[in-house]
Amino acid sequence: MPNDRELDATNNTEAVLTDHYPGMAAIDETILNLETDAISPDGEVLKRPFGPLFWVAIGWVSLIILLAILANLLPLQNPNYGNYNILNAGPSLQHWLGTDDLGRDLFSRIVFGSRVSLVVGFGATFISIVAGGTLGLLSGYKGGALDSTMNAASFIILAFPAIIAVIALVAVWAPPNLWKITLILGVGTIPLMYRVIRATTLAFANRDFVVAAKTMGATTPRILFREILPNVVPIGVTFGLISVAGLIVLEGSLAFLGLSVPLPTPSWGNMIAEGSNNGLLSINPLIMMWPALSMFLLLLSINLIGDRLRQRLDVREGLL
Amino acid sequence: MANENEITRRSFLSRSAVVGGAAILGGTAATSLAGCSSSSSSTGTTAAGSTPGVGTGTPVKGGNLTVGTLDEIDGFYAASNHWDTSGFLYANAVFDPLVVVGADGSFQPYLCESVTPNAAFDVWTLTLRPGVKFHDGTALTSTVLMNNYKALIASPLTGQALKQVANVSAPNESTFVYNLTAPNPTFPFALTSQLGYPFAQAMIDNSTKGGVNKPIGTGPFMFSSWEPNSHFTAVRNPNYWRSGLPYLDSITFRPIPDTSQREASLTSGALDMIESSDPGTIKRFENQSQYQLVDSRTGVIGEPTMAFIVLNCAKAPTSDLTIRQALAKATDQATIQKIFGAGFGQPVNGPFLPGSPYYTDSGYPTYDPSGAKDLVNKWKAANGGKAPAITLTTITDPRLAQVVQIIQQMWKQAGFEVAIQTIQQAQLVDNLVIGEFSAITAYQFGNVTPDLNYVWWSTTTVHPPGQISLNFPRNSDPVLESNMLTARSTTNTATRVAAYQTVDKQLAKDLPYLWLEQYLFSEVATMKVQNFNNLVLPNGQKGYSFDEGVFFPTQIWLNS
Amino acid sequence: MLKYLGKRFFQLVVVAFVISVLVFLLVRILPGSPAQVILGSSYTKEAAAQLNAQLGLNHSLIIQYWDWILNIFHGNFGQSYINNETVAHELATGAPIDLELIILSQIVAFAVSIPLALTTSRRPNRWFDNVSTTGTFGMLALPPFVIAPIMVAIFAVNLKWFPATGEVPFTQAPLTNLHDFILPSLAITAGSIAVYYRLLRSDLIATLQEDFITMARSKGLSNRTIMLRHAFRPSTFSLMAAAGINIGGLLAGTFIVEYLFAIPGLGYTLVVAVNQRDYLVVQGITLVVALAYVVLQFIIDFLFTVVDPRVIRE
Repeated sequence: MPNDRELDATNNTEAVLTDHYPGMAAIDETILNLETDAISPDGEVLKRPFGPLFWVAIGWVSLIILLAILANLLPLQNPNYGNYNILNAGPSLQHWLGTDDLGRDLFSRIVFGSRVSLVVGFGATFISIVAGGTLGLLSGYKGGALDSTMNAASFIILAFPAIIAVIALVAVWAPPNLWKITLILGVGTIPLMYRVIRATTLAFANRDFVVAAKTMGATTPRILFREILPNVVPIGVTFGLISVAGLIVLEGSLAFLGLSVPLPTPSWGNMIAEGSNNGLLSINPLIMMWPALSMFLLLLSINLIGDRLRQRLDVREGLL
Repeated sequence: MANENEITRRSFLSRSAVVGGAAILGGTAATSLAGCSSSSSSTGTTAAGSTPGVGTGTPVKGGNLTVGTLDEIDGFYAASNHWDTSGFLYANAVFDPLVVVGADGSFQPYLCESVTPNAAFDVWTLTLRPGVKFHDGTALTSTVLMNNYKALIASPLTGQALKQVANVSAPNESTFVYNLTAPNPTFPFALTSQLGYPFAQAMIDNSTKGGVNKPIGTGPFMFSSWEPNSHFTAVRNPNYWRSGLPYLDSITFRPIPDTSQREASLTSGALDMIESSDPGTIKRFENQSQYQLVDSRTGVIGEPTMAFIVLNCAKAPTSDLTIRQALAKATDQATIQKIFGAGFGQPVNGPFLPGSPYYTDSGYPTYDPSGAKDLVNKWKAANGGKAPAITLTTITDPRLAQVVQIIQQMWKQAGFEVAIQTIQQAQLVDNLVIGEFSAITAYQFGNVTPDLNYVWWSTTTVHPPGQISLNFPRNSDPVLESNMLTARSTTNTATRVAAYQTVDKQLAKDLPYLWLEQYLFSEVATMKVQNFNNLVLPNGQKGYSFDEGVFFPTQIWLNS
Repeated sequence: MLKYLGKRFFQLVVVAFVISVLVFLLVRILPGSPAQVILGSSYTKEAAAQLNAQLGLNHSLIIQYWDWILNIFHGNFGQSYINNETVAHELATGAPIDLELIILSQIVAFAVSIPLALTTSRRPNRWFDNVSTTGTFGMLALPPFVIAPIMVAIFAVNLKWFPATGEVPFTQAPLTNLHDFILPSLAITAGSIAVYYRLLRSDLIATLQEDFITMARSKGLSNRTIMLRHAFRPSTFSLMAAAGINIGGLLAGTFIVEYLFAIPGLGYTLVVAVNQRDYLVVQGITLVVALAYVVLQFIIDFLFTVVDPRVIRE
């Protein structure tokens, strides 16, 4: 089998596309295209300013993260305490966002619920980037049996219907909690992250600067960390943010099936499920609306940030 | 789905049954032999002021009725499938029960012409109607009933329920005899369950060839198609033994496990009628002029289905009566009913409701938060100062998920440490039957006669955790046992009433169950659906037509 | 070409084997057993043993696996422990629903994203482009479990334009069937629109810099001709790639929509079967879905060579 890396290094697209596993080309192609966005109509590479929207998004994500971290210190009401005298109340000074069907403060539940989304989203992404990234770097750079084995393994795992694997693992490893779910989803994302990092590594492995370093006798770790890694990081970050958004949605789906964090711990996912079940949507739409809106804004912000960062971190300029 | 919501709610055999999480109960409710004072008509409202579900005017032939059900069934074969509310709904379309419950709480022959005991009540003789044919043209004879019986007794599912039958005989083609091991004046009620819905010989033959998904019964409708989790359709039986019936051309059942979506399907016009086990449905459809509502707030004959928590009497800390008393006192029924009963609850202190002859002032602890705290402190003092830890188990179900969170808060306020554990339906056996739980939500009872609870309450079915015990709470109470046996064998009404009242009080004393609320069934239909709550029996008597969510489609018609 | 097909077939076999072993083991480590589900509260050791013997679950794992595979080679996927339907029947009734959901949602996604991208890529970073881009980010942020209940509340319950649940089979009433599928398809199309639009837009922008476009412009060809005839085809790489990933994810991945709209496709059937420990159904559907995924990737691969013959394989 002709090795990818033996092909013309300047023709990245084809190099990656001639991969041994069908469909993987699709992922690789998508990744490579993450780079092509920032070219102006006149062919100039733009350094667009981040723009106000970016800063609003950063502000929103920072606010959510800050609130989630400080939730215990803030003068918030107990998110799990139900005051049965004020069920389904509208927003008031006492309860900024109103109360749910069990008389619990929705604002407090939104704040505490953000922890689940954030921990799952960022935690699982972190796991997959560290593990999948390391494997991808090694696999992409080293090639050989290691590469083909892991390549095959990732292809097979991606072919397995994801939700079934997740449902089964959550059921087997009972009772579920935030850390287990994060770990399961994180490990489940490794194959995808591996594919992404491997493809990017392949694209850089035969660039002139890497070849030059090699001929000058640089060690493998040195090449990996000093030459390739810095170029892979931007892709990792932008794809990582996409993955954060995807995992937040996945946690929501699990919560919808009653398979996420144990009750009464709030999560945006189980709040949405709660608010859309039991006929509550018509009685008190706020129960579903607040977490749905929070999740919507968070996902929107993460996607916007990822997009702007990708433009800003565009690696072409430095390389060519 | 969410159950998924629990996506699948599987229910145990027969009306006598059980368990567990959401809706594992049998289809039909209850009837006391002594009868019960409440009237047979269920409550409901319509704008017109007529009785909801009782047709007025001339029946119209034709049309298709589409009904949204709570869940999907696992199949039509009485000998190997569990029938729950949906199961009995489907069964009432394609099969006929040998015996039904009358509106007065008595048992009434339906498919059979008569059911009569001997003087000792240990031999029951069924006489079959002449000329009744299955959908495949074969005749309903005692030979078929004999083969039905053989299939039922051989089944791991239904075999146990027939233990009280010593043997059966078929002296001639229209006579079938049950010889019981002991006298049982209420035996025919067992035939209102899936043990008494005759199926054709062809179903028995097919069952050995792996699969009986085409039911062949004697019922008003004939099987047309079944796509599990999508729909079940049956078409009019032109040769139905009740002449002139049914009125509908066809009936379609569609399982929609999500209550909100089921209700939305009715209001968006996709369905003509829905079933619900969520009291919120009653609240949302009551007093709406374009819908008819029938529900089980009143009109339940005998024992209603109850929602409650099973406490493990054989595993610490709930093995300690002090703890169970504290939990009972810490549980505020009124609040739970206010929030989840949609305001329709009434206090419950045992398996019987006021109006039942067996209802007593049982002495079940009332809500007493400070009393609960005192008991917890007492327990703490005796147990090294550590707070008692309870795991409250429930199955994946959106409504139960809300209920257990409220109970958790109440118990915590009394000083308990409470963790909620959500399991899948498939894990119930491991938890409930094997005894690996401390507190678990359940819906159960709703029985034809309290005698059918014997297996769940008897000392003979108690086994330690780790072993299978049909007495799930593992409450071993000799007084309860002897009174159950007395009530079973006596033919004297007063003796039976006294015995069951004692049982009621013993349950309140032992506290194997924390009663939460009556489990309310409701049925909502558009105005064109007529006569869905008006079962008239072949002998002209009225039948119990809204039996814990189960109705008969035979006499329904559609107004244009 | 033969060698190419042979290699692909080999890959298919390897994937099928590994997936079959994985799913076989996965369902068996789930807590709870088919006997417990079927017997419920009438569970006894004797009854369970009797049932397991009936279901063939009393044999060793290796024999169970071997029987399963052997039966598949005879075209028999077995049948559900719970409702006795054959797995083949479940596949035959579930797959059309998945396919229809995927096809309709993808048609909508392409119909929205392609014209939008063709419009905005000509004048990138203008207000219309910015609005579209932000709007599609918004679509990415609307998961089906949020959008579905809202759409049902608005379009089914209030406006009564669509049924809240259910479908009529296409073969019975094609138009009614399409009408029934509108809400479920829309619920899953949002994410696809966003991805497709963004990738096609950036590819188009890149293509428009190419020399042959400048040449075409200098020949005085209309914008419309340039966009459709010259720029579009070379810019569809990422679109196809993303469609491959996306559709792969939708295979048995639309269970929440299927659940909410009570249209039991393969995803919903799978989730139900896992919850009921219905081993053969889980195994059969998983295997078929995984193979469909692999075949889908072959097709996308093949399409790459059609769009750009420069992409030549070994």
